[in-house]
Amino acid sequence: MKEIMHKLLKIDRRYLFVLLTLSILIPIIKPLGLPNKSISKDVQNLYNFIDNLPAGSTIICSLDYDPSTAPELHPQATAIVKHAFKKNIKVIVVTFIPGSTGLIDELFEKIPQQYGKKYGEDYVIFPYMANIVAVLTQMNSNIYSIYDKDKDGKDLKSMPIMKGINNYKNISGIVNITGTAILDIWVAYVGDKFGVPVLGGVTAISQVGYGPYLQKGQIKGLLGGMKGAAEYETLINEPGKGTSGIDALNVAHLLVLALIIMSNLILVIFK
Amino acid sequence: MSEGMIIFGAWVAAALTLFLFSFLYKDNPFFKVAEHLFIGAGMGWYFQTVYYKIMVPKILEPLNSGTGFEIAMVIIPSILGLSLITQFIPKISWISRYGFTFLMGYSAGMAIPVGLATDFMNQVLGTIEPFANFFSLSGFEMFNALIIAIGTVCVLFYFFFSVEHKGVGKKVSNIGIYFLMVYFGASFGNTVMARFSLLYGRFDTLVNYSSAKYLYATSWIAAGLTLFFVAEKLVKTLTKAESAE
Repeated sequence: MKEIMHKLLKIDRRYLFVLLTLSILIPIIKPLGLPNKSISKDVQNLYNFIDNLPAGSTIICSLDYDPSTAPELHPQATAIVKHAFKKNIKVIVVTFIPGSTGLIDELFEKIPQQYGKKYGEDYVIFPYMANIVAVLTQMNSNIYSIYDKDKDGKDLKSMPIMKGINNYKNISGIVNITGTAILDIWVAYVGDKFGVPVLGGVTAISQVGYGPYLQKGQIKGLLGGMKGAAEYETLINEPGKGTSGIDALNVAHLLVLALIIMSNLILVIFK
Repeated sequence: MSEGMIIFGAWVAAALTLFLFSFLYKDNPFFKVAEHLFIGAGMGWYFQTVYYKIMVPKILEPLNSGTGFEIAMVIIPSILGLSLITQFIPKISWISRYGFTFLMGYSAGMAIPVGLATDFMNQVLGTIEPFANFFSLSGFEMFNALIIAIGTVCVLFYFFFSVEHKGVGKKVSNIGIYFLMVYFGASFGNTVMARFSLLYGRFDTLVNYSSAKYLYATSWIAAGLTLFFVAEKLVKTLTKAESAE
């Protein structure tokens, strides 16, 4: 028995890969419908912030993620944009990651139509821009000194959405969805410096590191990973990729927990 | 986009995903192809985005149609930027110092004051602030404020090496280690969740591409890969048997 158990500890890791694959594939093929009941305080704060903005307000959505983090962050961006459109909030989209331009196009291909929103009136997409620190600093003086045209080269000043928008004073909040440290830059160069409320959506990996900013109120609300997206989808009552992913995440986590407990028990009992 | 292109895209995406996953079984030529394509396509996308979104509107267009002042405002930073490339030519690499000097001065000037305010002063304030009105806080908030303050002091002491960690100092330092362990544990747990989310994203796409709409792309490619590995194993076994004879 002892030998079998010790052999089990040295099992070829490829069998574990197969188990993990099954634990994620099965819930995708046949959803289990496990509930997502807990809503964290930071997600609720982000939701409340957007929900309490008066109709016609303008927010900047800085969507800075590429395909490598899209499964976590794309559902977050989708949920927040849907919520903003539901509340008739105008959305200005900026990006500082070259890989995100295609994902932004994909995001705004279908969602605005669902809510009857028009490009140039209810939302606008600015082009990719390099050197984020210079851009964020300059935007406080005059947005048009950096962005005079939209992503397709159309004049920005003549668009109805840009009427009365000159700098951060005309912006109600910044929502930055990112898999990088760009949220830190928004906090430091815009939130703290110019007093614009900054909110974020980050990968689960970097979520823990934003605790100090949340505690001090430098970030008003935060979505973390796919769980954060699922919570936000629950709040806006629009189940999407975040919610459907919770099944797979739950089963995979249970598998990992079972494996950790099992291997520790084997070590303790059969040492 | 035409229906044919969408299906073609699905086949390419499914193939590249499965090729990369195949490394979990073992290194193979399909993985190498996907790996090189990933780097090449990524660089290509990056280059075209930077060229069309930055270089054309911010450099080439003002140079073609700008006023004298606008042209000067483009030429000066462009020359500084180009000077960095001289790093690759040892004889004139000294020119790059001008560009780097500008970059260093600019970056330090921008980052130091903001970094001090955001990551140092504000965080110190955030730790002390709750104690200014400590007795008006709720029980949970009091507990939270104490934990943050104790954690900050203990972790900072753990990294303070000018005093020997013994006696009370050792205990404080040990408490700091426990706080760090909690942080690393939470961080690792979140990392696992993040990786599973990414895996879910790819599997979700693969399942989607295995439908009739995409001509069963995932299923065909997975079957093809399996056949390749089985055939490779068979050939190796046969060759081994022949050489043994």
